[in-house]
Amino acid sequence: MKATWNRIVQPLKGRRSTPLPEAGTEPVLDADLQGIPPTTGPVSAAPLNWAYLLPTARTVRWLAAGAVVAAAGLMVYRNPPVQHLAQGDLGVRLNQFTGAVSLWRDGSVWVVPGLHTVRVFSLRDQSYRPEAMRQATGSAPLQSVEGLSLGLDLSVRYALDPNSPAVKAGNLPDNVGADIVEPAVQGLVYKVFARYTVREIFSSKRAEIAQIIETELRARLAADGVTLRSLQIGKVDLPAEYRRGMDSLLAEELASEKMRYTLELKDKRVKETELDANADKVRREVAAEAAAREQVIAAKAQEEAMKHVLPFKQRQIEQRQLEAEAERVARVKAAEGAAQARRIEANGEADARQKLAEAEAYRMDRVGKVNAEQMAREGALVTKHPLLIQKTLADKLSDKIQVIIAPPPTNGDFIGAALLGGNRNAQASAAQAAAVADDASTTQAVEQ
Amino acid sequence: MNATLATLLAAVASAAVTVAAEAAPQPSPSAQGSAIVVQDQASLRAAPRDGAQQQASLWQGEVLEVRGERLDYLQVWDHKRERGGFIRASDVRRVALTEAEGPALLAVMRFVQDTPGAEALGIGLTAAYLQAAPAKALAGEEGAQAFDALGTFADRLARRASVAVPGKASGATLSAHLDVANGYGVRFATYEVEGRMQVCYEGEAFRRLLAMPVADAEQRARAALALTRPECINPDLPAHERAKVTTWQADVLERVDVANLPGYLRNRVQMRRASVWGAAAFQQARKNAADPAVAAAAARALTELSGVSKAELPDEDQAAYNDAAMRVSAVRWALVPAAAPVAATGNRPTLLTEPGAPGETCVLLVDAQHSAKAPLLRRCTYGVVWAASASTNREGTAVALAVQPMEGWRELWVLRKTQGGWLADVLPPAAATPETGVAEWAGWVPGGQQMLVAREARGQGRYRKSFEVVRLEGLTTERVTGDVAALPLFQRWQDPAWKRETLSLR
Repeated sequence: MKATWNRIVQPLKGRRSTPLPEAGTEPVLDADLQGIPPTTGPVSAAPLNWAYLLPTARTVRWLAAGAVVAAAGLMVYRNPPVQHLAQGDLGVRLNQFTGAVSLWRDGSVWVVPGLHTVRVFSLRDQSYRPEAMRQATGSAPLQSVEGLSLGLDLSVRYALDPNSPAVKAGNLPDNVGADIVEPAVQGLVYKVFARYTVREIFSSKRAEIAQIIETELRARLAADGVTLRSLQIGKVDLPAEYRRGMDSLLAEELASEKMRYTLELKDKRVKETELDANADKVRREVAAEAAAREQVIAAKAQEEAMKHVLPFKQRQIEQRQLEAEAERVARVKAAEGAAQARRIEANGEADARQKLAEAEAYRMDRVGKVNAEQMAREGALVTKHPLLIQKTLADKLSDKIQVIIAPPPTNGDFIGAALLGGNRNAQASAAQAAAVADDASTTQAVEQ
Repeated sequence: MNATLATLLAAVASAAVTVAAEAAPQPSPSAQGSAIVVQDQASLRAAPRDGAQQQASLWQGEVLEVRGERLDYLQVWDHKRERGGFIRASDVRRVALTEAEGPALLAVMRFVQDTPGAEALGIGLTAAYLQAAPAKALAGEEGAQAFDALGTFADRLARRASVAVPGKASGATLSAHLDVANGYGVRFATYEVEGRMQVCYEGEAFRRLLAMPVADAEQRARAALALTRPECINPDLPAHERAKVTTWQADVLERVDVANLPGYLRNRVQMRRASVWGAAAFQQARKNAADPAVAAAAARALTELSGVSKAELPDEDQAAYNDAAMRVSAVRWALVPAAAPVAATGNRPTLLTEPGAPGETCVLLVDAQHSAKAPLLRRCTYGVVWAASASTNREGTAVALAVQPMEGWRELWVLRKTQGGWLADVLPPAAATPETGVAEWAGWVPGGQQMLVAREARGQGRYRKSFEVVRLEGLTTERVTGDVAALPLFQRWQDPAWKRETLSLR
């Protein structure tokens, strides 16, 4: 580029130079068009020679020719016979003579000036976000069924459908967005939103509304060769007061919702507690049952032990009874034996006594007889010798009696005659003396 | 309107009175200290004269607030009866309940500790000491001594109250002493045992003592012995509760270190341990006789009993020793593992056990011809069947088996062959209400007509030990003696294994 420039400038500096080739005009134009400022470094460094600044005739010619060429080039450039289509562009070429419409996609398309006209549309996705309805206080807010203004952050993404008849026919307006999409969206959105209350729009029916709009808009745009890619309803801008009320309402609703869940939770907790209690109850019941069973078993064991003691006791009692019976029998036998022995003893004793008595009687008999015999002998002796009595009396009394006081016999007998009976009653005295002697002998015999 | 006004005025007046009452200084407790009654039946009189009217009769240990002195009388206030009066100064001891007086109180308390009949006074003194002593002293050895003394007093008082004391006066004194103890918060439990009430100390002081790390071994031993008195277990306690109590008692007794105890105290602890472990073994055996825990508990019981030194056994402990021996003896078969049932050979019968109704064990007598499905004899019991104890005589006509229906009461089952088949007879330890006792097979006399039995039992307050020659026919006792050496037949035919293992010949 710089060389070309120099080549142009050098003749202006008055130097002889070779005529510029035809192609050399272009760089000038290029430079001019590109508006690159001339490098001032080397030029400013050299002193200016004003003589060079004056054009020569030859230069003027060259300049004229160059201008023509440049004008021609400019014309071609301005009205190029080839139209470039970028990626995602759709070219609609209309043959002005035949009226034929052809569609061209990426690449270049011949456009003969005067013959063809080309309109280029973008097939790329575009979006439409209506600003006027964004704010409730904006210029064109939506209206709810109650008549309240509300803003809506709506985003519509769309694209041209190259296969639709409208596109193929080339009937599209130049600005698809402004001429098709916007009226369609606005016409639908205002209408749809006007059917709902703010509350529905704000909270409960948002998805439904979006669905309706999307469905209807899709159909409506499709008729105009526009495909609706997506529709998104963003923030809903409510009027400030309404917003506050709505917020509190929603808060209430939330609170009530929360309460519902709380109640549910509490209900569940109640159920849980109930189940726990039931489980505990069952556990306790089982434990109590087990304990009771254990107690019953222990009691039965005790009863059993008691039961075993009783027969044993019974046996012991029986044994004792038997022992007592044996004892009784033994005692009776012993008593009987003793009685019999006593009886025998008594009999023996009686016999012995009888024998003794008999022996005594015999002895007495014998003694009596002997005594009688002796008395008879003594009687005979006394009869024979009566003084023997006196002698005997005196012998017997001699050591015991010292004095005998006796009345003196009246008849003058022997002083002891009163004692002896005297001679008057010799017979009686003899008999008395015999009796005394008998008594004495009896006494003697007893003493023996 | 007038009524409203009157109500308002009344409300204001009452509020004013309340405020004034709250603002007034509370009467300070008497600065003259307290007095503890040291004599029974001390008179609280209306005036400081001997002839004055008697307001109340006070018993030793009661505490009075001193409010003045008059002549040789003290003017006092009895908070328990809410009554004031005069009491002779010689009937009470004044205490200041200050920290400085703590050691003096402790000394008196120690002096009274071993004095029988002064339990109520001792409890009063201990309460005074606990009031006077600082918390630091209570946490230390002195506190342990105080709790030991308190428990000893209460336990002794309970024992005094449980034994029958003839005379009206002693009964009145005892009940008054119990009331005094109750007034100090010492609680007693009463149970009906054999038709009379058994008073037992509830044991709080001893429990506190056991929890104190500074308590020495003797104090612990005393506490553990008092807490585990066998007569103080509620007789109406259900079986599972009783098992818990047994476990607790074993735990309490474990806290005593017997190594440093005097001989007689160590013996007591070991005898008590033997009894408790014997009971634990039986309670576990009732659930599952094959449980290794049963053998472990029985082994522990036997170890403790064999640790008792007979040389250091005072006369009053002889009964406890016999009881412990019987209880251990009742579960001694737990130490012998039950042999696996072997196939019966010939006509010799063997025993099998199988579960019957819940809690019931059935004993089956089988031989080579009669299997378990058609046994020679089947008899069920709710007691514990010690299968290891089964013994058959040489002739194969009789089998002896130990069965324990109750804790500490083991019977001897004799299964014998008669003309009409096999019969089972039970030989209890004694013909008395089952309490504690053991009937043991000691050997067979050849000929199949007699057997040797050792019996030992305590029933209805009497202890009896005998060695008997029992006729198998009708289980009548032929010869009986208290001394095994006096029975030649017994000496000759007693079983060596029995002689080796039995505790009857201790």
